Amino acid sequence: MSETNSPILSVRNVRRAFKAGERNLEVLHGVNLDVAPRERLCLMGSSGAGKTTLLNIIGLLDRPDEGQVILKGQDAWALPNSGRAGLRNHTLGFVFQFYHLLPELNALENTTLPARLAGARGARLREFREKAEKSLIAFGLGERLTHRPGKLSGGEQQRVAIARALLMDPPLLIADEPTGNLDRTTGDRVLNLLFEEQQKRDFALLLVTHDQRLAQRCERVVHMEDGLIQADSVTPIPH
Amino acid sequence: MYQTFLSFRYLRARPISWIGVAGIFVAVAALILILSIMSGFLAETRSHLRGSLSDLLIQPHLDRNLMHEGRSILPKRDVPGILEVILADPLVEGASAHYTWYGMLAAAGRERMQSDVTFGDLALVKLVGIDPTEEGTVSSLREDLVRDSLISDEQVADPDDPFGPIPGYEPDGRPLDKVLIGEQLARFWGLRRGRTLELVTAVLDPETGSPREAVSRSFVVAGTFRSKNNEFDLSTLYLPRSVMADWFGSGRGFTDVAVRLKDYEGTKTEAQKSLANKLHEAGYLHDPEITGGSEIRTWEDFQRSMLAAIENEKGLLGIMLSLVLLVAAFSVFAILSMLVQEKRRDIGVLCALGATQWGVMGTFLMIGLWEALLGTLLGLAAGIWSSLNINAIEQALSNTFGFQIFNREAYAFDHIPTVIEGSGVAAIVIGAFAASLIAAALPAWRAARLNPVEGLRHE
Ligand SMILES: Nc1ncnc2c1ncn2[C@@H]1O[C@H](COP(=O)(O)OP(=O)(O)O)[C@@H](O)[C@H]1O
Ligand SMILES: [Mg+2]
Repeated sequence: MSETNSPILSVRNVRRAFKAGERNLEVLHGVNLDVAPRERLCLMGSSGAGKTTLLNIIGLLDRPDEGQVILKGQDAWALPNSGRAGLRNHTLGFVFQFYHLLPELNALENTTLPARLAGARGARLREFREKAEKSLIAFGLGERLTHRPGKLSGGEQQRVAIARALLMDPPLLIADEPTGNLDRTTGDRVLNLLFEEQQKRDFALLLVTHDQRLAQRCERVVHMEDGLIQADSVTPIPH
Repeated sequence: MYQTFLSFRYLRARPISWIGVAGIFVAVAALILILSIMSGFLAETRSHLRGSLSDLLIQPHLDRNLMHEGRSILPKRDVPGILEVILADPLVEGASAHYTWYGMLAAAGRERMQSDVTFGDLALVKLVGIDPTEEGTVSSLREDLVRDSLISDEQVADPDDPFGPIPGYEPDGRPLDKVLIGEQLARFWGLRRGRTLELVTAVLDPETGSPREAVSRSFVVAGTFRSKNNEFDLSTLYLPRSVMADWFGSGRGFTDVAVRLKDYEGTKTEAQKSLANKLHEAGYLHDPEITGGSEIRTWEDFQRSMLAAIENEKGLLGIMLSLVLLVAAFSVFAILSMLVQEKRRDIGVLCALGATQWGVMGTFLMIGLWEALLGTLLGLAAGIWSSLNINAIEQALSNTFGFQIFNREAYAFDHIPTVIEGSGVAAIVIGAFAASLIAAALPAWRAARLNPVEGLRHE
């Protein structure tokens, strides 16, 4: 770890409160967290601990009341809107519990969407489409390229979502309970796939879960309780 | 652009979006059709109002008060002289001197005049003394004489010589002078070709201007005419100008001159000015600086209030019809708002994948743009097509439903007139397009402002 360069992600003293009626309910009380490149980090915690809130802030979708999110050395929330949109597009991959594919687009179109959002057209877009096609085939979805999400099972949808999140080769993938909506076998297959991809492509993975079995497969586990990072246990797992 | 790509997908997947297109389509098509029919009616009415009026009417004032400081003289009154001056003007196409006066028509003739006067069975008529050849250069008199008539079958024997011999008319004694009467007048009074009628009028003293005597005289009907103006046909008689001049004497050859211009719309003001100056110099009109040019008026000056009413009506109609556009724009707004509401999750996803707020806004604005574009173009095509084919459409509808939709009896024309007005159509198309875009911009703006986290929270 010594020669590992600076973290891909640093969360610095992040606070976030929500208005609950009259009261201001603080959900994150100054969270600090570093994620190193190529690291596989598991964020655990009971329901309501603030994991999703933190992930939304890291994912540059929700602005923290205080603190910084430093991505690739840049204070992301100090950037203009367009700069943050670029980071979401190139630097971050997002996998959600509920897949969140666009129902009007087929599997291949959903997968290439980040390239379109980056302004890719013509030959460049075709390159991305080929890349998307390859990874969908590799994910066992070769027969499903032109199917709309409505025709896909949950596991298949989540695999499309992972292909979409990885299309732009982001150095950091964040996943919020990616198997939370899947049965055990399907969930395991999806996770295997995710971990295989990580080994192939060397991105850092920040995984939110409360599945103990899953945590065992991560080299580092962080516990979150009541809006604070409680414990950090590093268990090196050989790649 | 992904905005284009996504907007197509949403349009394709959401048939409800077509309601917006349909709304704009119907509004634009209906507006164009209604405007065309309305413009057609107005143009037709305008031409009816104009009837056989010429472009300009020159009427020398005989007011002695205008002759002061030696600047003005009593106008000369000879026909050949004034016509020569007028026709020398390059803007002028033709001119015809009139001897115009007013009288009462006793249709039953001299014998029954006493009772007619007693019972008020008289018509006030305008007596217009003309030279038919001259008149042909300024008005549609010749066509009016031969135009198919629904109500009169008493046309002149020879339209080129309307005051010529009347077949079947055998005067006992000296032949009577001839008159041409409007067909409405003929129908109302049961006057036929060859019948005599009596005209009663007052002759003024040329020196004092006070009525000198009441005179009456018999005439024979040479035929009827039908201008497009019913009012005119109900109140006008044409007589030979020489007869009028002879009847009223006083050395005056005409009372007014009708002038047709080569290009009325383009040169009316210019022609008015130049004729006023030239005729003043030649001694036929007063100094235009004193009269303010009031001795030369356009036909519109005589129908000013009616024409103003028509224009006003058109404006009011435009305002009312833009409400239809408002409804169409509202349907775009409502449907797009629904779509934005429904797509909150997709908006969150787009943000998470790297779309900017402007990108999200553009996506939904683009949906509105396609709806507006498609709706207005289809509406434009349908509106113009139906305007061009309205009579066939009306016929088909009338046949289908078994009753006449356009009641020809109620109008003076036997078809639905349409005029496609370029500027009006352009205003409708641009207005519809702009209104729909503005209506789309509001929900698109709201989409851009949505909190992505809200959209992503749930399944
Ligand atoms: N937009 C919000 N408004 C009000 N309260 C919120 C909002 N988002 C999250 N919370 C609250 O913050 C707390 C943490 O939520 P969350 O981050 O979703 O927890 P976790 O993902 O760890 O289960 C919960 O009590 C939740 O009710
Ligand atoms: Mg959560």
